[in-house]
Amino acid sequence: MKVVTGVVGNDVHVVANRLIEISLKERGFTVYNLGVNTYLEEFLDALLETDADVLLISSLNGEAEGWSRDLKILKSRYRFRKDVLFVIGGNLAVGEVDEETLVPRFEAFGFDLVYHQKDLNESLDEVEERLRERAA
Amino acid sequence: MSLFRRERELITRNEFVDRFDFAEIENFVRHASKNLFISHRFKHTDKMLVQPRGGFPTYDKVFALYEEFTRAGVDVLPLTIDSNTRLNDYATAKKMLALSEENDTDMLNGYPLVNHGYRTTRRMMVHFDTPVSLRHGTPDARLLVEMAIASGIFEIEGGPITYLLPYSKNFPLDKAFLYWKYVERVCAHYSALNEPINRESFGPLSATLQPPVIVIVIQLLEMLLSLEEGVRSFSVSFSQSGSMIQDVVTANVLRRLARRYAEEFGYGDAAIHLVYHQWMGAFPHNKEFSDALITTSTVIAAMVGADKIITKTRDEAHGIPTKEANARAVAGVQYTLGMLQGIPSVEDPEEEEHLERMVVEIMEAVLNDGADTLWRKVFNAIKRGHVEIPFSPHVINANEVITIRDPRRNIRILERGRLPISDRSFAYEKKQISLRPGEKVVEKIIQDIGIMQ
Repeated sequence: MKVVTGVVGNDVHVVANRLIEISLKERGFTVYNLGVNTYLEEFLDALLETDADVLLISSLNGEAEGWSRDLKILKSRYRFRKDVLFVIGGNLAVGEVDEETLVPRFEAFGFDLVYHQKDLNESLDEVEERLRERAA
Repeated sequence: MSLFRRERELITRNEFVDRFDFAEIENFVRHASKNLFISHRFKHTDKMLVQPRGGFPTYDKVFALYEEFTRAGVDVLPLTIDSNTRLNDYATAKKMLALSEENDTDMLNGYPLVNHGYRTTRRMMVHFDTPVSLRHGTPDARLLVEMAIASGIFEIEGGPITYLLPYSKNFPLDKAFLYWKYVERVCAHYSALNEPINRESFGPLSATLQPPVIVIVIQLLEMLLSLEEGVRSFSVSFSQSGSMIQDVVTANVLRRLARRYAEEFGYGDAAIHLVYHQWMGAFPHNKEFSDALITTSTVIAAMVGADKIITKTRDEAHGIPTKEANARAVAGVQYTLGMLQGIPSVEDPEEEEHLERMVVEIMEAVLNDGADTLWRKVFNAIKRGHVEIPFSPHVINANEVITIRDPRRNIRILERGRLPISDRSFAYEKKQISLRPGEKVVEKIIQDIGIMQ
């Protein structure tokens, strides 16, 4: 399985980004890490170029919403060969916003799985579970 | 007019700079007070110099900060530059400086030196008559350094690797080497007029589980790049690793090899100093624990025989410290240092031999590259992943090396990536590591990063 990952927007939280890369590799994924400060268009271009199965966007500074709200519109302009799983996780809001509000909002942007302030390994377990269900 | 002089005329001429009067500046440096030169202090004292961190947008606030530091017994004053200036965005810095001056709120995270200009800034430097160290993080620091030296700031921190790879994703590394070559030449030029300008490398790198071998290799390379342009006073540095004995081993090997490489390259006349940064990772929220951490790190600095220590404050986890809190930290470190006379020298011959061997293995790989100049050899080494900085955001960084702590908290190499270290050296590193059965490497890394919290 191939994963494209990176940190969206003007966000330089490199430690979390590198930990996600190491975790994904430990789980046997082929990882294309675009690193910090990545724009949505770059992620979608990379999905096409690498023919990846999963897009895993992370964000820590809380500004993800502004950078990813156009995902649905953007997705419609690309023709992926695979049914790509769109995942976003990290700290998805500035200040205190509860999960019940945030998750539907990001799902409406076009994400299949949304993780707000969740444990990395538990979240990746769920991602793998979802991929197995899809394959079945 | 020489080509270099023509280049300097171009660099110092833009809409944000008042006329640059080279003759006047040379005259100022030639007759400047010896007290402004840290190189002079190093020469005439055995006391470890204490330097805090800090900088504010306006002249008045920096002045007040320096008064506070002076009362606390500071040895070296810092001047931290704002992030717009670091990116050469002088227009934004100008706007934010004006807003900071009008509204009495800080709209910049440091002092926009280029906008203030050297005529204004020099008044402050001459008033305090204490060495000042320029702290920034700028890949293209050509104008900034011209401005700093003209202001009476005679220590310049940074370098093409240590101010680029930990800070930037896209700035081209080859350009950084050439821009820093200019900086070294300017420092060398002024060094001939009075006491030497001191250059200091930034050893903490990304401050996240940095293996000593990489820190030392990069310190040696930046030192050689600087000395080859004519700089004759240089500080190598590193930050507290989290393991007391590893800090001692790092210091002993770094000091020994810096001297040896300087001599081998024909710069035996250069003065080389060792700088120790107090813990650069995440601090505890508990302020008493922070005090304990700061005191312990001062003890380690004394054990390793540092020539200068760069301090933190008990408010580190809570944001930018007030000038009063910052000054209290300086006074606290001075108090601790007063107790630390006559510490016996500590060594660990086996660990030192191992670390030294690894450093030499990487240095040989870098220096044996076929390129015609040193900076190109170093550039190639980084491009190939022979040198990389764990947790760097830069696109050129290999990101293959993985480090974790051994049971004594020493940072060890778990995955060597493309580092050209021998199987023997790598086996020694791996032998020290013990992972519990089923323990995930990532969980261990997260724990090992956050040991002080």
